[in-house]
Amino acid sequence: MLGIKSGKQSNSIKSFKTQYSNTPLFQYPMIPAAVFLLSLSALAFEVLLARVFSISQWNHLSFMVISITLFGFAAGGTFLNIIDARINGWEKKLSSTGPVKILTVLYTVTAITSFIVLNRIPLDYFRLPLEPVQALYLLTAYLFLALPFFFTGLVVSLAYTSFPEKTGSVYFASMVGSACGAVLPALLLPFIDEGNLIIYTALIPLSAVIFRRSNFIEKHTSSKNIFSLNPLTLQLCSLGIVLAAAVLVMTNNDTLVHVNPSPYKALSQTLQFPRTRVVETVTGIRGRFDTVNSPYIRFAPGLSLKFTGRLPDQMVTYRDGDSPVFLYDPQPGSDESACRFTLYYSGYLLNPAPENILLIQQGGGSSIPCAKASGVGKITIIEQQPQIAHRVRRHYNIPVVNENPRAFLARSQRRYDIIHIENWGTSLPGAAALTQNYLFTTDSLSEYFSHLTGKGVLIISRKLLLPPSDSIRLWAGVYESLKSLGAENPEQHISVLRNWSHFTLIVSKQPLDNTVKLQNFAQRMNFDMVYMPGISRNMVNRFNIFDAPYHFLEIDRLANAYRSGTEKKYFETYPLDVSPQTDNRPFPYRFLKWTRLKALYKMTGSRFYSLFMSGELIVTVVFLEAFGISVLLLMLSFFTIPQNTRKFYFPQVLYFLSVGAGFMFVELFFIKEYIFVFGDPVISLTVVLAGILFFSGLGGYWSQRIRSKNLPYALAALISVLIFMCFAVNPILDRIQGFSTIFRYLLSLLLLIPPGFLMGLPFPLAMQHLLNFPSQRAYAWTANGCASVLASVASAQIALSFGISEILIGAISAYFLALAIGRFKLIGQK
Amino acid sequence: MKKTSLAATILILFPALLAGQIRDDSLGFKAPREKMVSSQIRRRGISDKKVITAMSEVPRHRFVPKNLVSRAYADHPLPIGQGQTISQPYVVALMTESLGLKGYERILEIGTGSGYQAAILANISKDVYTIEIKKKLCDTASQTLRTMGYTDVKTRHGDGYFGWPDAAPFDCIMITAAIDHIPPPLLKQLKDGGRLILPLGNPFSYQNLSLITKHGTDYRVRQITGVLFVPMTGYALDQK
Repeated sequence: MLGIKSGKQSNSIKSFKTQYSNTPLFQYPMIPAAVFLLSLSALAFEVLLARVFSISQWNHLSFMVISITLFGFAAGGTFLNIIDARINGWEKKLSSTGPVKILTVLYTVTAITSFIVLNRIPLDYFRLPLEPVQALYLLTAYLFLALPFFFTGLVVSLAYTSFPEKTGSVYFASMVGSACGAVLPALLLPFIDEGNLIIYTALIPLSAVIFRRSNFIEKHTSSKNIFSLNPLTLQLCSLGIVLAAAVLVMTNNDTLVHVNPSPYKALSQTLQFPRTRVVETVTGIRGRFDTVNSPYIRFAPGLSLKFTGRLPDQMVTYRDGDSPVFLYDPQPGSDESACRFTLYYSGYLLNPAPENILLIQQGGGSSIPCAKASGVGKITIIEQQPQIAHRVRRHYNIPVVNENPRAFLARSQRRYDIIHIENWGTSLPGAAALTQNYLFTTDSLSEYFSHLTGKGVLIISRKLLLPPSDSIRLWAGVYESLKSLGAENPEQHISVLRNWSHFTLIVSKQPLDNTVKLQNFAQRMNFDMVYMPGISRNMVNRFNIFDAPYHFLEIDRLANAYRSGTEKKYFETYPLDVSPQTDNRPFPYRFLKWTRLKALYKMTGSRFYSLFMSGELIVTVVFLEAFGISVLLLMLSFFTIPQNTRKFYFPQVLYFLSVGAGFMFVELFFIKEYIFVFGDPVISLTVVLAGILFFSGLGGYWSQRIRSKNLPYALAALISVLIFMCFAVNPILDRIQGFSTIFRYLLSLLLLIPPGFLMGLPFPLAMQHLLNFPSQRAYAWTANGCASVLASVASAQIALSFGISEILIGAISAYFLALAIGRFKLIGQK
Repeated sequence: MKKTSLAATILILFPALLAGQIRDDSLGFKAPREKMVSSQIRRRGISDKKVITAMSEVPRHRFVPKNLVSRAYADHPLPIGQGQTISQPYVVALMTESLGLKGYERILEIGTGSGYQAAILANISKDVYTIEIKKKLCDTASQTLRTMGYTDVKTRHGDGYFGWPDAAPFDCIMITAAIDHIPPPLLKQLKDGGRLILPLGNPFSYQNLSLITKHGTDYRVRQITGVLFVPMTGYALDQK
């Protein structure tokens, strides 16, 4: 037990209940408005911060900072606990209009200031291990970014603690506000850039301060408390902030508001070239797309050293300052064209004069001129990003399908002579470990094969990584897919070629009986064979020479393992995780094995910072940091509150930890699952956040109409729904995949209704019926917030290590624990 | 006569002393540099005396930003601004040694960066050309090289992709920037039997070096593994 329940406390419970049970929430009209507007603004701020980090740094670093700053929410509850022992009747004083208005103003000021500080602070993650001052910058960024979330958390926590009978309404205001905040950036980013939108959304809560008048009661209570300020002063202050923000936005202050990419990003590097400029910038929730014109852009991965001509002129579009897509100036196809000197052109040799080609493009851009050079009759290009699809369509004047490739294939019955997938991957294994990508899962590979004609060929080109990792995984994925489709000798269908920096994997629908064409091409272009039917060691590693033919040796070893049925042992013993990925674990860039971390550390030069860019290690660092902060926030109350006045009970705390973790597990499960449907993590995040938060809000509102005894039933119903989802979600999403875009959105939202609505019940019901003191509610809020952050970080690792479906098991376990506590402990105590 | 001798001495010795002073550095950095050479360079197998001498003589700290001077001789790359880095000392030494320089070669460096690599090359060969596309970096590096007395190094602000046709052909070309293909003009400017070296990978993580040798119209690319990582067949597989 974390506290004791004395007779004195029982009396104070009665007194508190008498005092507050009939307090109408709308007697304090500022509170619901503030909760709604602050939740809206804070969630929009969070989504926009993710955008800012995505541009200025890299995704997994933003993951680290934003996770930590979200503790600001939980810190609001801790703050209330600390003042609980020091200020009598704080809940009444603080929840009156004056203080809430002040907190709202503080939110706006800190949101704008923290963004400007983040934008201006010379924080350089690469210098962290080198310059101690960088740690100070990082801490400053953390603290500043946590402030607006702290003030939001404080107001929401105040609302819960001060109006227990209206918990459902507060929950509704908070959740629906958050849902609106999740959608707002998606709607406005096409018109307003990230920096300016942060300023605009930070101003939204001020509308409650400026336009809402105080009534007599509020003035009376405000005048007595520590936050007493003339309402007019606050209104003038707010108008001043709006005016200052308007000046900031209207003067188009690039220094303070414009978000610049890291100097290490490709866009920054390119812009340092002479006569290079950004000719077009398009912003959206999917990213910022900068198109650059420069005479210095030359992209030709996998080009043979035998090419002596001149590359065609190119332009490039960067997404968030990186992930370039190159557009070539159309040039008439000829034998001398650069495309015929590339590794991936080898695939076209196996099926000369193809009638139709499917190009699935994720970055790069060289596959389009290559396909054109083959003299194909019809090219179908699939590009997921609408902005890039538009650019490609406009540049080449050819139709481009703007869709998730899996959705397109699920609907299409067409067969192709060649399917060429362009996704070059990362040059640094582990850097994109958290990236969820379905292009190379065994399920996707099977889908590609089923869309090939009888003589069809699949071509995949990637960067050549050493230690061999990506090439092994792809080879294994192709092998298993072919096996599942009934191929007798899958290895007879596969060939791999490489040069000094890239490799191309070619899969033929028919067994490769004659590989002479490929061998001659490799010889002519000075390429090396890595794997081919009938290949031997003396045929490899001839032009691009390693100390040993590492890639050949490993793939050969794997092929033997498959033949002898010992592939599991191979994957277990290989120092990196190179096993094929499925739709349930679609992380093609994740290679880390925790049990071999020491070996990896040694392999990469025994230097800490070479591992620093590994996304998976960042997850662990974030989890440890988050755990530390959670313990600190939860324990802080114990250090600051005298033991005899503590009012927390361990089961209560555990209940709210469970509910917080469960909620976040479900949210993360759907976000990750829906990336399969929408093909884009940002769209998935927006749809799931908006859906789940809105439906939970409705659930919270409805919770006011049901009795406390129904809490176990609500939890049991939720657990049943989640168990059902465990088995049903994947088949349902597979079906949804083939539907049109609008139906996919609608059905995905519908699927969120049952869990979303039911998840809206456990928190407000327990807040309302199972807790007795304001300080208990504040503490419950803190526990809920801490568990949310920890669960979100844990979800990332669960998905990486075990799979996405397993996240739901975490959710079910958490809600089971809540059910056990709700059923046997708290109800009894009540 | 005495006056003439004195004047001659001053005229000859003083500039020499000054030049020596400029190239030399404070004693405070000599010890870390010696330690760098012994623990990072020699210990990892670099044995070419010319390379060892160059690494021992060139004051690396003069090429790094002031706020990172204390880390100049540490075993890692350092940021030099503009999103660029000065390579890890061992990578500089290995790239230089891999070219197998005798001292008479004409060398072209693509990507001057801080100018440190050019200074190392200039310590071994007198005929060094270096191109930097970023104006700011080019100006700073040229200034540093001049101040330190490396006046023989020819620097140019321009596009390294097309090499330096006026000075071609080259015995050796060194590319110090990440690229996805070898520029055909550079291969053309390489002498028959010439060597081109370039790093692969991320400067902040492990890198592989590739050495390309020209044999008539054919090329051989040799991967010099082990820049910062031990191949899988080495250490890692032994740990099963």
